[in-house]
Amino acid sequence: MDRVVDIADFAVSNDPRATLVTYSLGSCIGVAIWDPEAKVGGLLHYMLPESAISPDKAKANPAMFADTGVPALFRAAYELGAAKKRLVVRVAGGSQLLDDNGTFNIGKRNYVMLRKIFWKNGILIEKEDVGGSISRTLRLRCSEGRLTLKTRDGERDL
Amino acid sequence: MNRANEIIEKVGTLPPLPDTAMKLIRVVNDPRSTVDDIVETIRYDQAITAEVLRLCNSAYFGLSRRITSLNDAMLCLGTVKVLQLVMSVHTTNLLSREQSGYGMDPGVLWKHSVAVALAAAQFAGLLRRANGSLAFTAGLLHDIGKVILNDYVAEEFTVIVRKVKEEGVSFMEAEQQVLGFSHQEIGGLIAERWKLPENMVLSIRHHHLPAELDPPNDLVDVVHLADCSCLMFGMGIGVDGLCYRADPAVLSRHNLHETDLEKTGVQILVDVKRVEALFTTPPSGDRLQSVSS
Repeated sequence: MDRVVDIADFAVSNDPRATLVTYSLGSCIGVAIWDPEAKVGGLLHYMLPESAISPDKAKANPAMFADTGVPALFRAAYELGAAKKRLVVRVAGGSQLLDDNGTFNIGKRNYVMLRKIFWKNGILIEKEDVGGSISRTLRLRCSEGRLTLKTRDGERDL
Repeated sequence: MNRANEIIEKVGTLPPLPDTAMKLIRVVNDPRSTVDDIVETIRYDQAITAEVLRLCNSAYFGLSRRITSLNDAMLCLGTVKVLQLVMSVHTTNLLSREQSGYGMDPGVLWKHSVAVALAAAQFAGLLRRANGSLAFTAGLLHDIGKVILNDYVAEEFTVIVRKVKEEGVSFMEAEQQVLGFSHQEIGGLIAERWKLPENMVLSIRHHHLPAELDPPNDLVDVVHLADCSCLMFGMGIGVDGLCYRADPAVLSRHNLHETDLEKTGVQILVDVKRVEALFTTPPSGDRLQSVSS
């Protein structure tokens, strides 16, 4: 059963039948977490790096920003029995438009912010597929933690 | 017949925009227009009136009383929202089909078009340099060329994608090199054929490369920013993804910074979710029967 994670949205599940899927990651970033022991999976699709630009919106919807979305995702997974030390973290997205000046670089800033948050919290990224100018779709199967990445070049495991 | 001629010929086969839509564009483009002019334009189109009333009475708006006339709808929701509804409904048929060449499932191009329309209205408000309703309509139609070019992109997909990957050109430049036309050029031809206002023709024809225009044009800039934002946020994107050029000169020209793009992005998302909810929420109470035109 697919649970679609929309833009500025996240979901966690310990239902082995659940598949969390998020489409059309452009400059946005998808963060997939999975605890192989508790069999808990989570997927976040955030659009912007910092909640400071709109604290009200961040309060109403933390998944919009990296600095509020990532903690919300991890907390929700902990509530289902996941443990930080066991979590496998994989990341995809952060694409860029073709812009030599790098002004339209929301994708890059999204990624830099994520690295900063993970570094502060001692979290390592197991695998990632970021950058470029492609659109990405992520699909996390909660039963086995299998994460597939779909792009114009086809589908593969991440 | 060679392919270039065939593509041009196909532009001629695209059905015109519905009458009401055309009249509305003219009304919106005329600074002397009033609310009454807009009501007058829509009033005689029964199908669209029924649809506007149905949407207004949908659970989404949660209005306490039933909207039974266009005047009511304008009072309750405001002219801008009603106009947006009418134009969005009018382009559903045209833009909702699958665009396989661009890897877009049914509805994806329409979703992108509505997102760019809403974003263009936001940027027009931010810059105070373009009429919001005109910007909305220009945004809604900016990718109309894709509807014609789709079949040809599908035929040459492998060649186009190889160019994008290996030569670092944009998807639009690859279209032009392989097919002889880009979707923005074809869109411009369609807009001319439909006799859209000149500003709107320009914004469709140059939405990826505003620097092609000298002097620059505010409506083109607005549509460019709106399209860039929606591509970045993945709102209705296809296999062409983000392989388009963004023009930083547009930002400096209007004294905009990265944070302006981000703040507007937040607002765009709110608007897009509102409209998506509206078009997927079943109506409350008994549904008005659409009168077919």
